[in-house]
Amino acid sequence: MSWIPFKIGQPKKQIVPKTVERDFEREYGKLQQLEEQTRRLQKDMKKSTDADLAMSKSAVKISLDLLSNPLCEQDQDFLNMVTALDTAMKRMDAFNQEKVNQIQKTVIEPLKKFGSVFPSLNMAVKRREQALQDYRRLQAKVEKYEEKEKTGPVLAKLHQAREELRPVRDDFEAKNKQLLDEMPRFYNSRLDYFQPSFESLIRAQVVYYSEMHKIFGDLTQQLDQPGCPDEQRERENEARLSELRALSIVADD
Amino acid sequence: MEPADMTNHGDDALSSRTGAPDGDDRLSEDRSLVQQRLAVRELIDTEVSYLHVLQLCASDIRSRLQQLPQGDLDVLFSNIDDIIKVNRRLLHDLQETASREEEQVQLIGNAFLEFQEELEQVYKVYCASYEQALLLVETYRKEPELQREIQGIIEAVLPQAGPSGLSFLLVIPLQRITKYPLLLQKILENTLPDTSAYAVLQRATSALQDVVTNINEYKRRKEVASKYTKVEPLSLRERLARINTHTLSKKTTRLSQLLKQEAGLVPRTEDKEFDDLEERFHWVSLCVTELKSNMAAYLDNLEAFLRFWPQDCNLEIPGGPVVQYCYLARDLQLQAFPEFKQQLEAQVWQPLCSLAKTLAGPQNLIKKRLDKLLDFERVEEKLLEVGSVTYEEEAARHTYQALNSLLVAELPQFNQLAMRWLGQILCTFVTLQRDLAKQVLQRAEDSLAQLPHHHLSEPAFRKLVEDALGQTSHQLHSFQENFEKVLPPPTTQPLLPGAERQVQALLSKYGPGKLYQVTSNVSGAGTLDLTLPRGHIVALLQNKDTKGNSSRWLVDTGGGGHVPLRGQKQP
Repeated sequence: MSWIPFKIGQPKKQIVPKTVERDFEREYGKLQQLEEQTRRLQKDMKKSTDADLAMSKSAVKISLDLLSNPLCEQDQDFLNMVTALDTAMKRMDAFNQEKVNQIQKTVIEPLKKFGSVFPSLNMAVKRREQALQDYRRLQAKVEKYEEKEKTGPVLAKLHQAREELRPVRDDFEAKNKQLLDEMPRFYNSRLDYFQPSFESLIRAQVVYYSEMHKIFGDLTQQLDQPGCPDEQRERENEARLSELRALSIVADD
Repeated sequence: MEPADMTNHGDDALSSRTGAPDGDDRLSEDRSLVQQRLAVRELIDTEVSYLHVLQLCASDIRSRLQQLPQGDLDVLFSNIDDIIKVNRRLLHDLQETASREEEQVQLIGNAFLEFQEELEQVYKVYCASYEQALLLVETYRKEPELQREIQGIIEAVLPQAGPSGLSFLLVIPLQRITKYPLLLQKILENTLPDTSAYAVLQRATSALQDVVTNINEYKRRKEVASKYTKVEPLSLRERLARINTHTLSKKTTRLSQLLKQEAGLVPRTEDKEFDDLEERFHWVSLCVTELKSNMAAYLDNLEAFLRFWPQDCNLEIPGGPVVQYCYLARDLQLQAFPEFKQQLEAQVWQPLCSLAKTLAGPQNLIKKRLDKLLDFERVEEKLLEVGSVTYEEEAARHTYQALNSLLVAELPQFNQLAMRWLGQILCTFVTLQRDLAKQVLQRAEDSLAQLPHHHLSEPAFRKLVEDALGQTSHQLHSFQENFEKVLPPPTTQPLLPGAERQVQALLSKYGPGKLYQVTSNVSGAGTLDLTLPRGHIVALLQNKDTKGNSSRWLVDTGGGGHVPLRGQKQP
């Protein structure tokens, strides 16, 4: 609540105690943070899974294009290698899709549902604010008449103003209380709400990477390539390059 | 290549025979034997001093030439160390033969036959870089200070090098390899023809001659190849400069030749062998370039994937699976995945790029070959018509043939080596995937062990999660409803007496669901709008007006009329 300079229409009495106001702001503030974080999480999670799918698709393209090269018809060994690679990639892609589906179901959807409560909350807070404004206005009116000389007409108006004030004040108090009760409850619900999702997320990774390890482990054995340390691979690559460069038809650069 | 100016020991012209045949024969035999011995002596002695000079160059002189960069030294001295290794062993074997006088010549022949292959390999390399070495020597000569220093160093170690020090030294291996056939020939001339020694030595002599020929051929090929494989980035000006009348006329004649071929006027030189090779090369190129661009896409996607950090969200949840996940994800993002990416780049991407670059040379040569082929055919035509061709036209033919034989000789190797490398790169790709999976799995399984339901099987867990999410979904729904219910509670407005009767009437007519209370004073704007005080009860007939505008409602107040929406709330 911003500081509103005192003007006509504003009550002199502080109608809402500072502590209550502070509590409200604190609770609402936490929820606003949570809203921001859950929205961000949902967005990032979606983008991450999209990128994951894209990666998997481009891996499949690698083997697909190799398989369509005419060399496969000429060279049996090449064909065997590329077919094995293609099978592995396709299987991995299927598992990846499954992983993403699971994440969609157990993480992203729930996040969306959680996030959909916030608009209602924000509306409710706005209505409370509106009620507060009405309360303030009518309170100021009452005070105005209370300060005037107590003549007949003034008294009548004062009575009417008080009558108008009462329901509005009750309304505000009700809203305020309801929100002060519900907001912390909603905030705390996140603890139980998110744990299963994240547990599911971790498990989905385990399932996927177990498959990946098995499939590529089998494939490396099938291709008969022993694992070798990085330096050795580097030397191998340099040796291959030198072999090619040794040919006269290869340009030196 | 020209042989060095080495002093010729022995064999001045034989004086003519004199005297009786038998005695003369024995005399000339003895003379031959003496010459033979001298020739053998020469071979071995010169080998000794040759090796000595080489060693001085390779160690003393090279190590003192500190002011030259290592790259220059590598070009100048090339593979001199390998040459020394081979010649040292050759010398050793030659020296061993000295103890077996009778068979020495034959053993020498055997030794050279044994070393033929190695000598060719090792001198071939030296010879190929010799031209470049000479260019370097020229640049040094242009700097007097440097030249003086170099000269000084050489003179200190090998005074006999003379004023042209460095170039004198560098040419020595070339001189030596061409000298071998001559030295062996000299021994051969003084060996009795019908002996086994003669046969062996003869084979050795021609073998060493072949070595020299092959080295020359290799050098020539490399020159041809380097002329045409260079993919030079030419500026526009350079390109314009290259178009002179000569090249223009070449291009137009090529085009007309190609057209003639297409029209069937000139028989296309069919070379099935080459066409098959070229086709295979084309597929190999396709394989490499496709793989490279697919790999680039994969790496791009990997990079994009690594950009998103869902684990950075802060839900203010102090423990449990949420925190576990954040730790795990951060760990993977900071270590496992970047490592994977690095290894991919170094062991798959970089080699792919290098492999792709090697394609340029053969591609260029194939193109040039076709150009030259068209030239060649035109020359053949002219030969048939006119009976002779110019020198330039002959040169085109030779170039075509050189290119053709070069490609036919080396394309199969290229294809094979390229595919082998490609296969290895693919295998590395697969291995890196497996290693990544292992890394991630280890860490994820650690996290899993700390989860509350880690003992559950996957299907059981999935059921559990589904149920849990269903429950919490209900809970959320109720929260939502609660928030939406933050409405004004029924504000009991004091009713005027007459109004009560009206309300009763409306109540009985429409039922309580349709009754609304005006919450704030409403003043009608149009003619059909109602003006109602706050607290008045009305019955809803329709929640939009006749035009479909839902902000104005049709109500029954006991009379009829429209009321704007704001201010309508259900009791």
